[in-house]
Formats: sequence, structure tokens, C-alpha cells
Amino acid sequence: MNRAEVSPDAPPSNVCGQTTSITLFSTQRWWGRFFMPFMFVTSRAVPKALEAMDSLSFISFASWSLIRDVPYNGPPQHLRRLRHSHLFFEVSFNGSWAQYIDSSVRVLTGGMKAFWSSSLTFPGPLPAGPFQAFFKTHEVDTSHYYCAYPEATVTIVRSALALEERLDMFAHRAGLLPEAAFDAVWGAFLEDAQRYL
Amino acid sequence: MTTRFPKRTTNLAGQTYGLMVLTPIRPGHEDELRAYLDGLHEQGSPLARLPRTHMARWLIMPDMPVPPGVQDPLDGPYLLFTSNFDGDLASYLHELAERLVPEAQEIWGRCIGCPRPAEGAALAAYLGRNQLDSGFVFAAYGASTVHQVRGALDKRARLQDFVVRSQEMDPAQRRKAFLAEFGDS
Repeated sequence: MNRAEVSPDAPPSNVCGQTTSITLFSTQRWWGRFFMPFMFVTSRAVPKALEAMDSLSFISFASWSLIRDVPYNGPPQHLRRLRHSHLFFEVSFNGSWAQYIDSSVRVLTGGMKAFWSSSLTFPGPLPAGPFQAFFKTHEVDTSHYYCAYPEATVTIVRSALALEERLDMFAHRAGLLPEAAFDAVWGAFLEDAQRYL
Repeated sequence: MTTRFPKRTTNLAGQTYGLMVLTPIRPGHEDELRAYLDGLHEQGSPLARLPRTHMARWLIMPDMPVPPGVQDPLDGPYLLFTSNFDGDLASYLHELAERLVPEAQEIWGRCIGCPRPAEGAALAAYLGRNQLDSGFVFAAYGASTVHQVRGALDKRARLQDFVVRSQEMDPAQRRKAFLAEFGDS
């Protein structure tokens, strides 16, 4: 299946400013209920495993969870336990839905295989078309999505945090400098800071 | 004697907590709830009143999405609420239950088991009972709070503006203006 066969556009309710959300539940094979907890423990224990994801610089938050039991609230709710385990995945990212899938599968090919291999009908991360279709089948659209700083991308937030540290240090130093020395130091500061502006 | 360590929550990434709450919607209330949630976009999000919230979402699951040939039906529609926020869960739920009145009544008030009125300690306890733990949470800047992120973004915008404005200033003016703008930051 090529990309044209699945709609790559996220509905407006999944978007808040520069940030798009995906929420997905995928049905697990029988062994997923053992394998996914192992993946979670490994990912938490080896932060280095996240470096590739971190390097993408367009994912702000993501989480995974394995669901089998449903919180029970008494009648008229009947359900306490699902027949299958389901992998819950949610992500907040910058860019379009299709860009997210394409970039993720190309950079995180190994990680994608590891995290989704226990899902029924997982077609493999590449080519991206069938993987997009897999996502679409299991996705649930958001009804209301909120972001506290909607116009800032992950790159902008990280730049701002890095810049603030340098700016605060420079401002402290500038207050102690003689007037005649300020401009030279200001120029050097700008040279260093321009990559964050 | 053995030393006992508290169990570390799996819902944290840095200081950012990943919350997930799944509640069953009362029979016949799905359409009203969907319409209410859809309408929140027009009024501005009530979640803005929770200043520790980075990102959050509500969604309705009419059923569990499963591939063709697989059956795993829910017993009705469910409401899912997720949030990435700063700090600890108990104080966040307390804050939510205090500050999202009357929206909480319109939202969780349509769910099975929700206290009436949907507010205060009873609502916080209800949401806590319906929490599902995350297996793994990722946060790109999990060490930074919403307050810190907003402060840094504001400072960056002010510096961008200052760089443009200060081009027309002489060195003495530039120093004075810089210290006035950022000197006590």
C-alpha cells in the first residue's frame, strides 16, 4: 500500500499549534504480555537506548503502556479484563502525521521493530506505507488536545532553555564589566548565542 | 536487616509525570460527552487552568480498535484522559479537582462511578482509582517545568527583539538597555 491509500492528515482535534498527537492501541500476540514489560524495563534501565529517539528532535512526549485489566467501577460496567493485551501508545510531536511516521521508521527502524513486533498485523516498519496503514487502523482520534506552549516546537524549547542558561550567565557578567569592555563581550556572546535564536 | 527502597513509579520521565485515566462512560451519554469535548476548542481549553500541564488530551473510545478477525469488545464507550505534568500525582489530581469545576462535572460526571458533584477529594480519588500505569515514558525536556519552559521562551523572544533594537544604539546605550532588560534575570 502506498501513502496515497491512507489519509496522512491529522484531524484538527489532534493538533494544537505546532504539536500533533497520535493515540493508538494495538492488539498483542500472546507473547506480547511478557515481551513488552521486558522492553519497558530495558528502556528504563538503559537510557542510551533512547538516544536515537531523542535525536529526532520533534517528539516532545511519548508513553507506552500494556493494558489487560480495565479499572472497575461497579454496575452498569461489566468489563474487568480484556481478552487480549493491548499496547497503548501516545505521542506528541511537531510536523505532519505522515512526516512523523516516515522519519520515525527511517531513524528508529530497530526500535520500531522491537516495540511493535508483538502487535498483531504489524507489517514491519519499512516500507512506510503499510506501517502508516497499521497506525491508521489502530488510532483513536483525540476529542480535545491541549498544549501549554502551542507555538513552540521541541527544537525551539530546547534552544530557549539552552539560551537562557547562557543569557543569565552573560547578564551577570555584564553587570560587573566596565562600560568600555561591554561591546566586545556582547559581540562574542551573540556569536555563541545565535544558534539558539 | 534489609534496607527497603520505595518502588519507583514507571510514570516518570525526569520530573514529568505521565498520567493515564480510563473511565467507562454511562450508557447513553457518549454523544453528549463527545459534543461537549468538541466544543471546548471554541472556549479555550480549561486545562490552561492547570499550570503544571505541558500537554493533555481527552478522547472517547467507542470500542477497542482491533485488526480484522480479532474480537475484544469493550462493554461500552470509555473516556481516556492523559496528561504530561510537573511534579507529583496526588497534588495534581487535587489541583485538577479544584480548578476544573464545572468542566469535570460535564466530563467525568458522565462516567460510571464518578462522585456527584464531580469535584474535590472525591473526584481526585475517583481519577486515582481509574489510573493505568505507564510502562515507559519519554520526555524531550523532562527536567524542565512548564513555568521554566515558558520563562525560557519568553526570554528568547525578548532577546531576539533586543538584538534587532540594539543595532541602532551606541555602545553605552546598548549596555544600559541590556542591563535594564536582562540584568536582574
